[in-house]
Amino acid sequence: MNFFLQIIVSGLTLGAMYSLSAVGLSLVWGSFNMLNMAHGAIMTLGAYFVIIWFDSMGMTLWLAAPFALICAAIAGVILYFISAHWMLTKRAFDTNIMIATIGISIALQTGLLKAFGGEPYAQPLSLRSYSFMVNDVPVSYQRLVIWATALILMVGVGIFLSRTNFGRAVRATAQNRDAAQLMGVRVRRVYVAVLALASVLAAVSGIMLSSMKELMPLMGGEPLLKAFIVIILAGLGNVTGALYAAILVGLLEAAVQVLVGAQYGFPAILIFVILVLIWKPAGLFGRRTVARQ
Amino acid sequence: MAENLLTVEGLFAGYDGQPVLRDLTFDVPKGALIALIGPNGHGKTTLMRCIAGLLKPTTGKVEFSGKKVTGLPAEEMVSRGVVLIPQGDMLFPDMSVVDNLRMGAFLPAARAKFSENVEEIYGMLPRLKERSSQMARTLSGGERRMLAIGRGLLSGGEILLLDEPSLGLAPIVIDQIYEIIENLRKQGRTILLVEESPNRIIDLADHIHLLDTGSIVWDGTGQELQAQPQILETYLGG
Repeated sequence: MNFFLQIIVSGLTLGAMYSLSAVGLSLVWGSFNMLNMAHGAIMTLGAYFVIIWFDSMGMTLWLAAPFALICAAIAGVILYFISAHWMLTKRAFDTNIMIATIGISIALQTGLLKAFGGEPYAQPLSLRSYSFMVNDVPVSYQRLVIWATALILMVGVGIFLSRTNFGRAVRATAQNRDAAQLMGVRVRRVYVAVLALASVLAAVSGIMLSSMKELMPLMGGEPLLKAFIVIILAGLGNVTGALYAAILVGLLEAAVQVLVGAQYGFPAILIFVILVLIWKPAGLFGRRTVARQ
Repeated sequence: MAENLLTVEGLFAGYDGQPVLRDLTFDVPKGALIALIGPNGHGKTTLMRCIAGLLKPTTGKVEFSGKKVTGLPAEEMVSRGVVLIPQGDMLFPDMSVVDNLRMGAFLPAARAKFSENVEEIYGMLPRLKERSSQMARTLSGGERRMLAIGRGLLSGGEILLLDEPSLGLAPIVIDQIYEIIENLRKQGRTILLVEESPNRIIDLADHIHLLDTGSIVWDGTGQELQAQPQILETYLGG
């Protein structure tokens, strides 16, 4: 029974972190076919921004956190203007943008390495050392914060996409760019906004991740890979599916880690994804165009 | 005739350097229904995309309401009152019918009047009201066309560009669509319409232009066209 509880506690935490980064990645891909390889670096950057504002600038944590998120949003906007903006109308956008963002990602990571060095930092924004017990399983308050934050953000993104005028424009652009333009949507504004939003979600995810482990310049690599796995598992561009798939992957990883061994978590996910893709090539929630003529 | 709402002058356009439109010139007077007919692959859709701003012309001039609008992007054209109801509908498949309609009224001016105007659309196209919460991809072909028309009308444009409104529909559904177009005409809307065959528009259009390999090869009224069957024979195979 304790095993079970442990899996749930740890799996939901992983799921919450994965969902934030995967939903961001999926939104960007779904909106304009941009496979953002700098997503992981922006995650890392967001986590470091907390340190920059807190340690270096002497802000309180309550100020440093929102400032870090604003900086992440700005980073997303800059990312758009130094890469996608110039490539959108050119040939092979989806390949070019991948290569460009890989470059940007390397530059960002190297910059962080130069500025902060390779040794790990502790994320100041963490309640990891405070916990309570449920049936002999320790649950840190940090996990509660992560669950609540992820829940609020996901509900917020859901409401934004389904109920607001601009959110509808985002979905419309993803479904048919030309038609959205015909409705008067300035699609480039949509792209900038989506990248900014995705970067904020990535930063939150990065802060969460570093609050459970530690801050390292290269910490974004593995979560980026997992976010990719999640959105492929869900079906590319399916934002709601990415949310469910993230939680599923989190729970699966936790189950394997608890029951088999920590080092088997990631291989187990990969095997699971391969099996799912054999069974459903378009992903769990992906759909080949279903149309009634 | 009334003043010209839309003027196209010496328009050339194409894809990847391959010209599709060659020196097109015609006018659309305010309140008129002007039709362009011609076989598939001769530039009808290219012309519509050019006017609506989805494709930049190579040379030539497009004027709307007395202002030069050549090469403006689609989002700018719709805000000026040029509304394209595109070929193949181009709906948002994973959005509900009502959300598709809301997208039609995306710009602030149209959005302000949405709740009022949507009732009018529902009155005209009751099927859309019945299906308002359904995803657009689950609609039948005729319902999709109606949704595309309703969505376009909600943009509140001054001119409607209709790109093959009868394409892919059963004759009985085409009748319904043309009934709608006739009503729009009666309301005094300015309409530019393209079709492959002249059947439906011969009595409806104020003026008909015949498009062949990207140029206008004949123009006149429906009656004149009927009086010269050899023209249809030559260009449309009778």
